[in-house]
Amino acid sequence: MTVIEVRDLAKRFGQTLAVDGLSFMAGAGTVTGFLGPNGAGKTTTLRMLLGLVTPTSGQALIWGRPYRELGAMRRQVGAILEASGFHPGRTVADHLRVRCAAMSVAPSRITAVLAETGMAGLAGRRAGSLSLGERQRLGLAGALLGEPDVLILDEPANGLDPAGVLWMRGFLRRLGEQGRTVLVSSHILAEVAQFADCAIVIDRGRLISAGPVTELMKAARPAVTLRTPRAQDLRDALASEGAMVRAVAPDTLEVTGLSAGQIATTAAGLSIPIVEMNAGPGSLEDAFLRLTGTEGRPG
Amino acid sequence: MIAALRAEFLKLRTTRLVAAMTVLAVAVTALIGVVEAVTAGTGKGMAIPSLATTGGLRDNLASTGFALLVAALLGVVITSGEFRLKTATDTYLDQPDRGRVMAAKAITAAAAGALLGTAAAATSAGIGLDFAAARGYPLALPDPAIARYTAGTVIGSALLAAAGAGAGSLIRQQTAAIIAVVAWGLVIELVVGATVTAVGPFLPYTAAAMLAGDTSGGGMPQIPRGVTALPYPATIAVLAAIAAALCTAAALTVTRSDIT
Repeated sequence: MTVIEVRDLAKRFGQTLAVDGLSFMAGAGTVTGFLGPNGAGKTTTLRMLLGLVTPTSGQALIWGRPYRELGAMRRQVGAILEASGFHPGRTVADHLRVRCAAMSVAPSRITAVLAETGMAGLAGRRAGSLSLGERQRLGLAGALLGEPDVLILDEPANGLDPAGVLWMRGFLRRLGEQGRTVLVSSHILAEVAQFADCAIVIDRGRLISAGPVTELMKAARPAVTLRTPRAQDLRDALASEGAMVRAVAPDTLEVTGLSAGQIATTAAGLSIPIVEMNAGPGSLEDAFLRLTGTEGRPG
Repeated sequence: MIAALRAEFLKLRTTRLVAAMTVLAVAVTALIGVVEAVTAGTGKGMAIPSLATTGGLRDNLASTGFALLVAALLGVVITSGEFRLKTATDTYLDQPDRGRVMAAKAITAAAAGALLGTAAAATSAGIGLDFAAARGYPLALPDPAIARYTAGTVIGSALLAAAGAGAGSLIRQQTAAIIAVVAWGLVIELVVGATVTAVGPFLPYTAAAMLAGDTSGGGMPQIPRGVTALPYPATIAVLAAIAAALCTAAALTVTRSDIT
């Protein structure tokens, strides 16, 4: 069953066409990654889906209706669009009380969502004193107040430290396991692969690819990862042979376009020692960059 | 509408905005009231007539003029703050009927403005009547007149706060909205009202100040010279119409605009 449907959606801001004839669907109980480089039109699309931005043309529907026409079913849709959309002087509990009042949700839900998001001890803290990770959790808590079947989350892991990213990944995975329909925008592509069933890739407002994450992974080229103390010398040499070389760490390179044997031969010819070398499938980033044609384009 | 109202009242109750603005209004009113009372009848500078006279006591009671402006700014902050703090996104997600949200904000702003006006009116009345009594003057104004000016401050504050809510939602950029409202009240109305005196009673700040007992050329802050007040109920109707027009324009604008 289709829960989220976007049909020929377009949005123009002055001379800028932010979303250009975009169409995609998300089925019930699926976790869908909504991917694209910065400025691809992800946030604008999500805002149109939630009735905050009016489309220039096309439709963005949830359960076959525009968000503004969902009536009481609106409570079944939770969303995070602003990581810091809180009054700094209002406490965590009061922020959620205001949202309960606006949504006509029983305030008894506050305790439950605070516990669910690991915020139980922070109910009395003012929002202005929360860390970015805590604010993201508060946003999630607000989105969960109505016990929603559908969650629309705009870059929920943006700016989080590694522990926060790990927590968010687990949380999103749990939401999927609970059978909720989740649409998560992100440009942290490796993250999406950890919890999403499907991926929708857009660029410059247009659909690039839509389908299972495993299919997207197939678009990745085989890559060789190697460690060498002379990373810059080897990088230059491999690049001159037409390989795509990316420095993963000061002594670690990821190479696509050449086989492990070809790389070893080149390194041996220049007496460059290779400490470690692994050949494997390419990364989601590689697939993403190829699909969107953003290799070498500044983000 | 009940949910929207409940949420907007809760927003005001869970921050210090109303308390802070009320303290500001009371402090400014007290300062002006005391300065006016102390200098009343001396004929110096901006001094008002003696508190033993009708004009002097009325001017002193009308020292709530700046409080009226603070009430308008309270309304501005209530609506423009949603955009400054990016809480507008959640507000319109939870209540997609933006006209209803604007109506709820106007009503809560008016209630908060009335509260602020009550505190300011009590302050000015306390100062004026205490100073007059301390000097042994007989009460220069009948009780109904004092009650009318006091109620005028409360009503004027409520309606200016609602008008401010409309202005804040229309302008959205908070600093610009605050500057616009202060400039309107203290500069533009003075110039326009003095230039075209017939328009004076229909200007919002001037109308509210006259409800509170202010007269042309008397007290602080000044209102345009040569302006004659409309009857009390007509002045209330003018202010209410201005507040309704601003809030309707704000509701139409926010309904048509994108929340980005």
